[in-house]
Amino acid sequence: MINLKTEKEIKIMQAGGKILAEVLEEVIKNAKAGVSELELDNLAEKLILEKGGKPGFKKVDGYKYTTCISTNDVVVHGVPTNYKLKEGDEIGIDCGVYYQGYHTDMAQTKRVGSQKSQNTDKIDKFLKTGEKALWEGIRAAKSGNRIGDISKAIQSAVEGQGYSVVRSLIGHGVGKKLHEEPEIPGFLDKPISRTPLLKEGMTIAIEVIYNMGKSDVIYSGEDGWTIKTKDGSLSGLFEKTIVITKQGSKIITQK
Amino acid sequence: MAHQGSFEIEGVVKESLPNTLFRVELANGAIILCHLSGKMRMNFIRILPGDRVRVEMTPYDKAKGRIVYRFK
Repeated sequence: MINLKTEKEIKIMQAGGKILAEVLEEVIKNAKAGVSELELDNLAEKLILEKGGKPGFKKVDGYKYTTCISTNDVVVHGVPTNYKLKEGDEIGIDCGVYYQGYHTDMAQTKRVGSQKSQNTDKIDKFLKTGEKALWEGIRAAKSGNRIGDISKAIQSAVEGQGYSVVRSLIGHGVGKKLHEEPEIPGFLDKPISRTPLLKEGMTIAIEVIYNMGKSDVIYSGEDGWTIKTKDGSLSGLFEKTIVITKQGSKIITQK
Repeated sequence: MAHQGSFEIEGVVKESLPNTLFRVELANGAIILCHLSGKMRMNFIRILPGDRVRVEMTPYDKAKGRIVYRFK
């Protein structure tokens, strides 16, 4: 069942989204060479609590951290470790805030350091493609369109540049629970007309999860959470929570 | 946090239980408990043991599924 949110609920989620956007921006700024993943996670938790929210991911069964930190070939759900970031690493930070009963979800990927080298251009282009795909997906998200329109926009933006969209992970609705209906894949697996219709009041988290190489992913092993690319290629992750409005859509996770 | 998407898999209905629940044997040998999807209920599509069906499953619960299609 897709829950449509009322004006009051959307306002609460926007306040939570503001907290999340500020916290994530601060954490991204602090993701420099020499900083460890756990330090970033602790910083995120401290900031969220200071601003009056609660770490949303801690409400997920079995997950004990505030963020998912996915470096280089880790696709999603990277458990924060003592690994210290190096120059040129590509780090994806996924975070969620639980505020007054509602969740918000947001993720961003960036490159550590500012070294200019030949390899830099390839990876920077990879990240720019992901950001652009997210904006294309948000543009396609308006009342009257279908989820398939969002999926198609993301898929053509990513695969048009030669990268691959991960098949087994998807965006999702957000609200009282972190993961709600509907499912929002980044690729088309059925005709657009058979995907759900987008209605006013739907709050969804659009995720762009993509790899430089092939789209296959595997569980990395010990912790039961971390998912890596099968061929070891780099993986990017971008996500924003939005609400569908009469005029189109409004981003909830922004300052 | 990213969510794992649901997937569809084919199987054969082994037995029918009360309240439109069915035990279905999947291609990989596993036997799961499935219920009939709303669309099939609305269109009065009957399922009998021995029918080949398509089942929708979530990676978060490998013991349950939803029957979404009956093959001829």
